[in-house]
Amino acid sequence: MFNLNFKQRLYQRYWQFVSNYLDKRQPAGSAVTLVQKLIFILPTRYGWWFFLLIILMYLLGTNYQNNLILLLCYLLLSVFLLSITMCYLNMSGLTLSTAKPAEGFVNSDIEPEILTSSAKQHMMLQFSLVQHSQLITMAQLERSVRFSFTGKERGRFALPRIKISSQYPFGLWRAWSYIALDQIYWVYPTPMAQITKDNDVDIDDKPQSTVQSGDTLTPYRPGDSIRHMVWKRLARDPFNPVVRQQLTSPQAAPNWVVVPALTGEALERALRQACQQLLTLEQTGKRYGLQLPHQTLPQSSGSTHLQRCLQELALC
Amino acid sequence: MLIPARLVTIWAVLQLGILLLLQQAFAVWMMALFASMLVYKLITHLSGRPAIGLKLVNLIAAVIAIALMFNLRQSGILNFMLQILLLAAICRLLALKHSYDARQLVWVHYFLIGSCFVMHQDMLVALIIFFAFTVNLYSHFYLFAPSAVKVQWHQTGRSLLIILPLWLGMFLLFPRVPPFWQIPNAKIASSGLSDTLDPGSIEQLVRDDSLAFRAEFDGAPPSQDQLYWRSYLYEDFDGRRWQVNAVRKNRNRMPNITATGTTDNMQYRIIAEASRQYNLFALALPSKVNNDVYIGSGGLIKSNKPVSQRISYQVTGANTLIAQATDNERDINLDVAEGNAETLNFARQLAKQHSTPAALVQAISAHFNQQDYYYSLTPPMLGSNSIDEFLFDTRTGFCSHYASATALILRAAGVPARVVGGYQGGVWHPQQGYLAVRQREAHAWVEYLYEDQWHLFDPTAAVAPERILDSLESALTLEQQQMLMSCWLELELLQNLRLQLMHLDYYWSVWVLGFNDNNQQAIWRNLRQHITLIAITFTTLLALIFAGFVFSWWRNRPLNSTHAATLLIQRQLGKLMQSKAANQSMSAFMRQLSAQHPTQHDWLILLTLSYEQAVFNNDTHALKSLQKQLKCNSKRLKILRRSIKNT
Repeated sequence: MFNLNFKQRLYQRYWQFVSNYLDKRQPAGSAVTLVQKLIFILPTRYGWWFFLLIILMYLLGTNYQNNLILLLCYLLLSVFLLSITMCYLNMSGLTLSTAKPAEGFVNSDIEPEILTSSAKQHMMLQFSLVQHSQLITMAQLERSVRFSFTGKERGRFALPRIKISSQYPFGLWRAWSYIALDQIYWVYPTPMAQITKDNDVDIDDKPQSTVQSGDTLTPYRPGDSIRHMVWKRLARDPFNPVVRQQLTSPQAAPNWVVVPALTGEALERALRQACQQLLTLEQTGKRYGLQLPHQTLPQSSGSTHLQRCLQELALC
Repeated sequence: MLIPARLVTIWAVLQLGILLLLQQAFAVWMMALFASMLVYKLITHLSGRPAIGLKLVNLIAAVIAIALMFNLRQSGILNFMLQILLLAAICRLLALKHSYDARQLVWVHYFLIGSCFVMHQDMLVALIIFFAFTVNLYSHFYLFAPSAVKVQWHQTGRSLLIILPLWLGMFLLFPRVPPFWQIPNAKIASSGLSDTLDPGSIEQLVRDDSLAFRAEFDGAPPSQDQLYWRSYLYEDFDGRRWQVNAVRKNRNRMPNITATGTTDNMQYRIIAEASRQYNLFALALPSKVNNDVYIGSGGLIKSNKPVSQRISYQVTGANTLIAQATDNERDINLDVAEGNAETLNFARQLAKQHSTPAALVQAISAHFNQQDYYYSLTPPMLGSNSIDEFLFDTRTGFCSHYASATALILRAAGVPARVVGGYQGGVWHPQQGYLAVRQREAHAWVEYLYEDQWHLFDPTAAVAPERILDSLESALTLEQQQMLMSCWLELELLQNLRLQLMHLDYYWSVWVLGFNDNNQQAIWRNLRQHITLIAITFTTLLALIFAGFVFSWWRNRPLNSTHAATLLIQRQLGKLMQSKAANQSMSAFMRQLSAQHPTQHDWLILLTLSYEQAVFNNDTHALKSLQKQLKCNSKRLKILRRSIKNT
């Protein structure tokens, strides 16, 4: 938090405050209809200019004592006021509902989808996820809205609030609403076929054949086993510890993907490798199971099983 | 975001329209230049070529702006501002690419359309300007709407139904304030009579058929020969032309003179067209006027600023003679210029024969009547001694010749006299109740000073009395009438249409243009007077609507076949009932609820049990305990309702 400057910190606190307010007003639900309580409406910048135009016309009409200019001024004012109602009516009545959760990998696109429905036509709506930059403009209402953003961290996340806004009739007023749906999306670890080291923890009777190949040296990362450290280099250069990489052949036990109990970066690497293994196993069509430190998924096959395994990986 | 192509076409045509409407503010070369730029834009746009680059357009705009600034002194500030605005709009249109620029363009269009009303107030042009406004609003709508969408007419109709009362209500009831500061007026050539009266100037003016002003009277209008509308006093004569004296030009106000004696007090209202002059119109001696105009010296009504748009003012006056204001007046009006020796001789002869001015005037009148004098719209041109030539050679002239000659004769005979310019007569429209005075009623007559009062004398009455009693056409020969008619473009059918339009225009002036804070205060006063009546009507209306609601509710109320306990539960659950399926029983629904909300499980189950006892066992104790439980748990129920409300 400390590398954010003052403005960003202020914005964070402001957003925190707004989130609390919104959560009280509209807690997450599975299908939300836009009603008066949830819609905010304020003039746009063009709306303020329009108001200035009305004032100028009023001054012009009064100074020239010209009734026709005053008539025009009042006509503009009526249009200005009526467009509040039109803008509001364009937004209200829209129902958003959840669809199936989106899935994706870290550093790839996640595409959550929400369903929209309404009894009447809505024009020029703009959808965006809060604190994401993507803006989707829909000239006329479609059945669903698909967002797209890059997954940063693995895990299960709740979809952030969706901001729906519209300036429809004359661009004078903007009506917007923040809607929270209780929809989640999954980000799985990136599948990476990586040469991983042999780990220290004894895995019960799983014979592993390790091939010593002392050629690959990589810098030490927290979580690596100390046993494989190259001590000579450490003596020379205390601040850059180096570890010898070990190759492991695939486990002899048939089709069990194991994620050992690790922490930190090593865990991430293990998860990535496990993910890759799962994907390849699914492709081959064999039955496979997942073994996690706290849980075991029995062997099975199929896309639902793959999904479950990946979800467990994400939650790990 | 790109702009739809047809919007650019609409804006180009709209700007051409605005250019035409504002033509009075533009010199010919400016109009040609702007029109050519717009036509160029239209052609390039329709043939699909892209917009011009911004730098080039800025350069062109800068050059033209400098040219306009050089013209500033000639145009005046108001016209200069309009020129700059329109230049900005045209250049923006030429370089238009993004929708952001288009918004600014629409904004400037609104302002320009509003300023068109400064130049034009009559009804037809006002309707055209409102149409231009609608076109701009249409383009504004399509700037923010998807282009595939068609304007839904029934929705527009509904919006119009709401806008109209709101708009008219604001216009009628929004408070009016007097002008905040002085604003520049449009510098355009004036119409009507002017500060100088040449021989031939009134003949030119008479060919113009446009309206000069309209007059309404409280009570019956005076007869035709009493309608002498005084507008200008010409007191300086240089041998050929008459001019307004410098004294009259400064803004002296006469003290409010009340009518002496028991002469009739007239009250009338005049709606004067825009003439861009200071002088307005009055009958005889006005004593009281509105605040925008004042009574100047010589009993003339003048406006504080040049009349650049239609104004209306009330006059209270008497049909008496104007009193002499200063001694200076006598001296100014005795000044006989050089030349015209024969006339001076003639005058001296007459003076010897007749002692009083009245007799003198009679003699002049008889002279004109009995000798061969003709009233013509096209008198022959006069040379240097114009009055001599007119009186003794040509003997043919229009009203200004006769008035000019009479005034000179009277002056030479020692009677102070001056030529008065204005209008005589007018067309009375009995149904609509107003008098329409056009430029063809322009007239010149004489006032002479006797016993400290200015008396009216119209020499035309001696020569062509039909002019005074009837109108100009009846006093002219047939061929001259035809010449006049052709100037006035009369066609039988069109004449009728023009007349109807003029009446509509009159109502427009009175009701729309003439609506001022007095009218508004009158409306408020009326409202306050009838406030009890309005309150009663309003409450009866409300009561009727309420009764209607009650009636429909009574009709539609659910029949009492449900158990009291069920009704109780339904009322308490409120919106929660929406998630209950129609074929699901209440107790099953409540159990489902308690399963869905495990934290609320206990008391919900208790509630369910009581409910079942009450309904199926018909147990009154259970009913009572149900009521008690509902009361105890009302807060929890509230929380439950709220948490489910928005899902």
